[in-house]
Amino acid sequence: MSEQDFVERMAKFPGSEVKLLRKGQIAMKVPADKGHEAAEYLKKMGFTHLVAIEYVDWIKDNEFELVYNLFSYSSKMRVFLKVRISRDNPEYITFMDLWPVAMTHEREAHEMMGIKFKGNPNLTPFILEDWKEIPPMRKDFDSRKFVKEKYDSIPFVEDEP
Amino acid sequence: MSQTKTIDLFFGPQHPGITGNFSVRVTVDGDTVVKAQVIPGFLHRGFEKLMEMRHWIQGPALICRICVPDPDHSETGYATAVERLAGIEVPERGRYIRSLMLEMSRLSAYLFYFGGYAGSIGLYTVGQWGVGDRDYILDLFEELTGARVYHIFNFPGGPRWDTPPGFEDKVDKLMDFLEKRLKEFDKLYFNNRVFIKRARGTAPMTKAYAQKMEVTGPNARATGWAIDVRKDDPYAAYPDLDFDIITQKEGDNYARVIQRRMEFEQSIDLIRQITRKLRKMPRGNVRVTPNPLHWKIPPGEAYGAVESSKGELGYYVVSDGGIGPYRMQARGPSISHGVQVYEEMVVGQRVADVAALMFSLDVCPPDIDR
Repeated sequence: MSEQDFVERMAKFPGSEVKLLRKGQIAMKVPADKGHEAAEYLKKMGFTHLVAIEYVDWIKDNEFELVYNLFSYSSKMRVFLKVRISRDNPEYITFMDLWPVAMTHEREAHEMMGIKFKGNPNLTPFILEDWKEIPPMRKDFDSRKFVKEKYDSIPFVEDEP
Repeated sequence: MSQTKTIDLFFGPQHPGITGNFSVRVTVDGDTVVKAQVIPGFLHRGFEKLMEMRHWIQGPALICRICVPDPDHSETGYATAVERLAGIEVPERGRYIRSLMLEMSRLSAYLFYFGGYAGSIGLYTVGQWGVGDRDYILDLFEELTGARVYHIFNFPGGPRWDTPPGFEDKVDKLMDFLEKRLKEFDKLYFNNRVFIKRARGTAPMTKAYAQKMEVTGPNARATGWAIDVRKDDPYAAYPDLDFDIITQKEGDNYARVIQRRMEFEQSIDLIRQITRKLRKMPRGNVRVTPNPLHWKIPPGEAYGAVESSKGELGYYVVSDGGIGPYRMQARGPSISHGVQVYEEMVVGQRVADVAALMFSLDVCPPDIDR
């Protein structure tokens, strides 16, 4: 099957917006409530390898974008399945039933972006320790300000009374 | 046993049997592991966030640090992603130099790997030999790039400069030496009865399990699953090189180590193919890079993956048309085999194999933490 055939088959999915980015890479946007269904559809098409779940903060649109990076070993094609969710109270459903390893990726997205995944039992702290600020990968998290406040406030030893 | 008492043990972050700054909390019942929980995060340096504040061209200086023993694959993964996004074609000689560096990097990572696993079962000499031989590779890296460990050499658009005169001959000479050394490694290590007894049948992974848990790289190939990013999603000069995907069957610790040993030989062969080709090629034209200070990449997204010594290492980059990445996310190979897969596979193993399994899977904590 050629790339064009894949694009046509993906475009048949209701509500999808498909674009051939370059050789071997396709982007497929679907509405958030169709995400899981679309993932199942793609998995049946041969996209069995979940490479990663990428998360992007589009702060201007007040939206988070979740990108399910899927690869097909049979046709050597890659598809970015994209869904957008609101930045206010971000919540999505888990894909653990399709790919067990999604648990770790969702755990990371939960910690770094603050997205809750319904159905994932393991949204515990992953990489960060004692984190009390807003999730650090959000665009409105100012890391320079954070470093200044957190570390500049520690006085030098000789300054202490 | 009518009543069992379990104890929690902490493996790492300060432990000789751990692959870097990493920790595992294992619950043991006697000598058997009943539960494990990995604790990553000791090497979290926030590269993905830092990248958002930098120019496109400043990327390689940061991201080569994502995998410490195998930095060139990180650089090339990022460079491949940016090139795909910007539509840049690297000149042929540049692609070959890139592949040469990647294979040399793979050799040096595998030498570390041999020593790591051997150390976990008490064969310390292998580690000393491995680190010693790796130094010859680092010498060549120093001659080519000016740096030993982090080379910051594979920029988007191609490698920074051409090989110095006579470099190919030195590489070939080193390959002859390493081939000879591999026979000595066979005697010391791969045919060693201690290694065979300890590794054979320990922690086997089936092909179905590898497919279910998205395991990639040599760990997947050791189960008999013939996948390789160099073949599946070609980059650098790999489409032009002649090689087959090596696989094992059993998927146990033994197969995983032997898989790397066979790939070590394959890398030597690939490097010879590359140097033969490099000698025939006209020198000079190795990269295309626009003005680095005002380099804008068209908006969009791209993914570039490489077959690192640990598995699929990929970079997802998003551009909003600015001078730096809007978002850059790394997909480290250890995110699958270092977290969930390890936690599940270590259950039922003896305490002595906790470290051995971690080394045989080649868990690289910095690519989980980033």
